[in-house]
Amino acid sequence: MELLNNILEYLGLFFVLLGSIFLFLGALGIYRMPDIYDRLQAGTKASTLGAMSVALGVGLMQPDWLIKLIVIILFIGISNPLSSHALARASYHSGIVPFFKNKIDAYENVVKKEKKKH
Amino acid sequence: MLKKYIIFALIAVLGFYLASTFKAIPFGANRLGDLNNPETVSAFYLQKSPEDLHVANTITAIVVNFRGFDTLGEVTVLFLAVTGLMSILYRKEEEETEERLAIPSSSLVRTGAKILFPLILVLGIYVFVHGHLTPGGGFQGGAIIATGFLLMLITYKTFYTNHNVMTWLESIAGLGFVAAGLYGLIVYGSFLQNTAWTGNLNDLISGGLIPLIYIFIGIKVGTELTSVLDTLLNIKPRKK
Repeated sequence: MELLNNILEYLGLFFVLLGSIFLFLGALGIYRMPDIYDRLQAGTKASTLGAMSVALGVGLMQPDWLIKLIVIILFIGISNPLSSHALARASYHSGIVPFFKNKIDAYENVVKKEKKKH
Repeated sequence: MLKKYIIFALIAVLGFYLASTFKAIPFGANRLGDLNNPETVSAFYLQKSPEDLHVANTITAIVVNFRGFDTLGEVTVLFLAVTGLMSILYRKEEEETEERLAIPSSSLVRTGAKILFPLILVLGIYVFVHGHLTPGGGFQGGAIIATGFLLMLITYKTFYTNHNVMTWLESIAGLGFVAAGLYGLIVYGSFLQNTAWTGNLNDLISGGLIPLIYIFIGIKVGTELTSVLDTLLNIKPRKK
């Protein structure tokens, strides 16, 4: 029993460490990236994974809270990508030009089609 | 080049004052005073709220019971603010309103909002129902409920709040608060005096009238903030 508890504790610590690394990388990405779309990429993916894995790590260390934390993980998993998607879409539609290197804008045609529909 | 030095000097000065301010604060020291001496206010609150009121959250005991009259005033201030806003921005339904959104929100956002809306409402209700047990309370829970409605209002073009229901809920909640106060006045002789029927500490039903008043405050704040958002977004059903 004690062995299991120790294993769970170390596993939890590992997940918390992993999560903090991802959160740090997300912050670095927000600082380094050139425009809003790239920043959203860095921020969303890294911070979603980071927050989820910190919550999971805490849940492994404190098994009483595990169910609550799983609900929190699901909530983060739904809401975080969704809000970033809405932000990116809104900033494209309000005319923020992406930072191009190879001038490919695949979303332009989709927007044109949507406008024709209306 | 000079600019850099000036910035460095400013940061150094700011850092010095920040450090000296933090140095003056005795972190970890007991600054509440002697908790066993009931003559200090903090000791009085910390002892009375679990013993007499059976409320686990001392802040709730202070906000709803010891300073209950003040909270009634705060709720009234919010009510007056909403009334003023509504009277300035009121619009008849017959008038022509602009389209709510230039571009409709994507199907992802619409589906996600549908999933998240009940979860947000449940969280808000949880926060104000458990106001006497956990951190949070009526104002916080009401604000969370209002964010849920904001999500639906900006996502769906066809989502409208029913003003009649809002008005009734808000009025009933406000009247309930005052009625709870008057009950104390009639039975115990002072306004908002707490009742004696109390469950065990840390139970959901404990603390006399405190949970009931916090539920009223939660409903009131939630409906009021929702009507603020509704009014500011200027949303009215279009006349067919």
